Amino acid sequence: MGAPAASDAPLEYAVDELLADGPYEAPLVAGQVRCHGGFDAEGRYRSPRTLQRAPAIRAWQAQLARDGHELLAIDAALMPPQYPNVEQAKLLLREGVRDPVVRRLTIISIVEGFGAIIRDVKVPDLAALVVEPIEGTALAHLRGGLFEAHARDEAGYRDEGGHKQMWEAARDLALENPRIPGDVLMRMLGQGPGRRRERRRALPRLDEALETMLATMAQVLAVEVFAMGAFDWGERLLSDPEVSANPEAAGSLVSYIRSDESPHVEYLRSALSEVSARSLRCVDGGTIPGREAVRVLLHATLRGLTRERREEQRQAIRESLLDSMQAHAQPESLLERYDALESAWTPPAKTGFEPETPEA
Amino acid sequence: MRLLVRLYRSLRIAATAARVYLLYKLPAWGRRLLRRPEPEDLDASHERAARILLGTALSLRGVTIKFCQVVATRADVFPPAVIEVLKQCHDAVPPQPFPRIRAHVEAELGRPLDQVFRAFEPEPMAAASLAQVHRAELLDGTPLAVKVQYPDIEQIVRTDLANMRRVCAVYEFFDPQPLELRPLVKELTNHLALELDFLREADCADRVRELFARDGTVVVPEMHREWSTRRVLSMQLVDGIKITEKEKIQAAGLDPADVVQELMRIYTRMILAAGFFQADPHPGNLFVQPDGQVVLLDFGLSKELPEGFGLGLFELMFSMMTLNESAMIRAFQELGFETKNGDPSTFLLITRRMMKRSDTGRFEGEFTEQMTDELFDAIRENPVVQVPSDFVLVGRVFSLLSGIAHTLGSRANVLEAMGASTG
Ligand SMILES: Nc1ncnc2c1ncn2[C@@H]1O[C@H](COP(=O)(O)OP(=O)(O)OP(=O)(O)O)[C@@H](O)[C@H]1O
Ligand SMILES: [Fe+2]
Ligand SMILES: [Fe+2]
Repeated sequence: MGAPAASDAPLEYAVDELLADGPYEAPLVAGQVRCHGGFDAEGRYRSPRTLQRAPAIRAWQAQLARDGHELLAIDAALMPPQYPNVEQAKLLLREGVRDPVVRRLTIISIVEGFGAIIRDVKVPDLAALVVEPIEGTALAHLRGGLFEAHARDEAGYRDEGGHKQMWEAARDLALENPRIPGDVLMRMLGQGPGRRRERRRALPRLDEALETMLATMAQVLAVEVFAMGAFDWGERLLSDPEVSANPEAAGSLVSYIRSDESPHVEYLRSALSEVSARSLRCVDGGTIPGREAVRVLLHATLRGLTRERREEQRQAIRESLLDSMQAHAQPESLLERYDALESAWTPPAKTGFEPETPEA
Repeated sequence: MRLLVRLYRSLRIAATAARVYLLYKLPAWGRRLLRRPEPEDLDASHERAARILLGTALSLRGVTIKFCQVVATRADVFPPAVIEVLKQCHDAVPPQPFPRIRAHVEAELGRPLDQVFRAFEPEPMAAASLAQVHRAELLDGTPLAVKVQYPDIEQIVRTDLANMRRVCAVYEFFDPQPLELRPLVKELTNHLALELDFLREADCADRVRELFARDGTVVVPEMHREWSTRRVLSMQLVDGIKITEKEKIQAAGLDPADVVQELMRIYTRMILAAGFFQADPHPGNLFVQPDGQVVLLDFGLSKELPEGFGLGLFELMFSMMTLNESAMIRAFQELGFETKNGDPSTFLLITRRMMKRSDTGRFEGEFTEQMTDELFDAIRENPVVQVPSDFVLVGRVFSLLSGIAHTLGSRANVLEAMGASTG
């Protein structure tokens, strides 16, 4: 993150280069599971597939700055607080009500894993759809290694675990192989109606595949930025000796995951900024400013995530909370204490990506 | 049941077994006498054997059909040529004469037919292994589908199962390297006990309806319990386009790709999330309505999975789709797969074989028929692996679904069907 340092790294990479790893002195083993990344000679954790990917992203960002374009950023104030928050989660664990926390950690691990869908996003012929040249940009390397690296980071690859497995290990280390509540998937899988039927075009003039790709990238970027809240939460909770059986190991796993995420945020910011700095060809033969397209999509996704989505999730978690508390000796008083710890939050009025011209 | 009928059934089953057995063994003996090598390709014999079985099954109904159905599901044990033929055992069962059916329904409901129904069609709309289905109308005009078990079916099933156990015992005695048939018969016995209780079927239908109550995307016929017994099931008559009729689906303005995707979502929700599912998605049991809602029928074979099994399956599918070898091996173990020699490296072999695909192509979130088939091929080639029986049922569901997807010319993106958008 931070201001892009002056960079003399190249702007063009082959797929294998962006996926290149190591060298590591020691592998990362989470619980029993061999995971990605590893440790250098000083024992510092090094993220996977960053040997060239990290300098590449810095070089693309430096190029963007040289051309006088801004690097877009999502305001951290938009990030909804975690529910249950750290204090609430600790209260539940202290009182022996473990299911809600186990459920939350498991859902985080699964959502991380689903990040791998990024490799299935269809990338249309960008050279044809973007008016200005795109050589030497992150945008030109999406299919060429960036999406694939991202997918492998999230869901693991071959004999190495990824974030999904690292979260599972952190959970199992901290809470000593807890029983996973049987309803975890019930709350997140296959709730209808299917997505295809909901499909709505925000930018009907745009090539459909291009819109889908940009919308997915906007969505994933927002989720990645907001995930920082989940990392803070996870790290604080799982490294707290009062509730964690393995504070050291579990806490550092979460911190490794956090550092792996930074390239995801950065390449997505770069590519979307590169689109913003260009114009897009429409199916009707005209063009629209990339800046407008990106803003429309980011605005929609941020509004969704900070409003309906946040409230839906809070409600769903609360419902299951009540069930899980039934085994407790005094569920009512526990619930009262729990609610007293809630952090009040209202989403900021603006996403920062409001349309700049009055909407048609 | 009359002695003669019983004797006839026993003989038919024994004779069929003998014919199938000899079909394999005669050429082998001949080859041994002439010192010829074993032929590479047994497919022709497999197919003939399967046809003999199917012929007997269709004329005897009852357990023999069910047996064929079960064999058709065991892609982990039987060669593809057999499975192909035995898949057909769902069609073409001759119905029972109406007077028998009528008497049976009246005995079950404890009153004459016309005191319950304004109309009851003598011609069944479908006849299957254990029951046939008649269109009917209640006195108030409500249209119904009434599923009636064949009279005598319970005895037929009992005799058939006994015969089958005997045939298996004889076969295992004679064959030095027998296929393991007895576990199949046991599985069959369990399924049949469930399927013959229509009140349980009504309960299962209600559970699945409840699961999708908030969606408005799935139709499960309402059960009319006042006119149902263990042997007669009265339910709402629903209609729709048979799920494999691609042209009609398109003519209704629906995209077959959406139908496939929706079907996959419905089954992943039942199997992975709820752990309770209608385990029989053959095309006769699935309709699509013009508004895109999917109709599920036939809850006779519904199954409750043990706790944690859905999550284990999710892990297996997810690790396959994300090319995560080690997670896949862990998932096999969590699901209760076992190697007979206790050596887990067999899982690695199977997994590697699945992963080979990634060098040639990409999964694109698909859990395709090839993947299911390949998994079962890999398991069959590694006979030291023991497959948990729940997995067999689930595997069958996914291969039936991919068959439907194939017919509709589309593939489901399972990651998407699982609801990958949930963040
Ligand atoms: N409620 C209904 N409305 C309309 N048609 C129905 C209904 N119930 C059953 N049918 C039709 O009758 C056929 C047979 O019903 P069903 O599958 O329940 O019988 P079965 O004896 O369990 O068959 P199977 O051999 O599949 O086990 C179905 O495939 C369907 O075409
Ligand atoms: Fe991640
Ligand atoms: Fe990420």
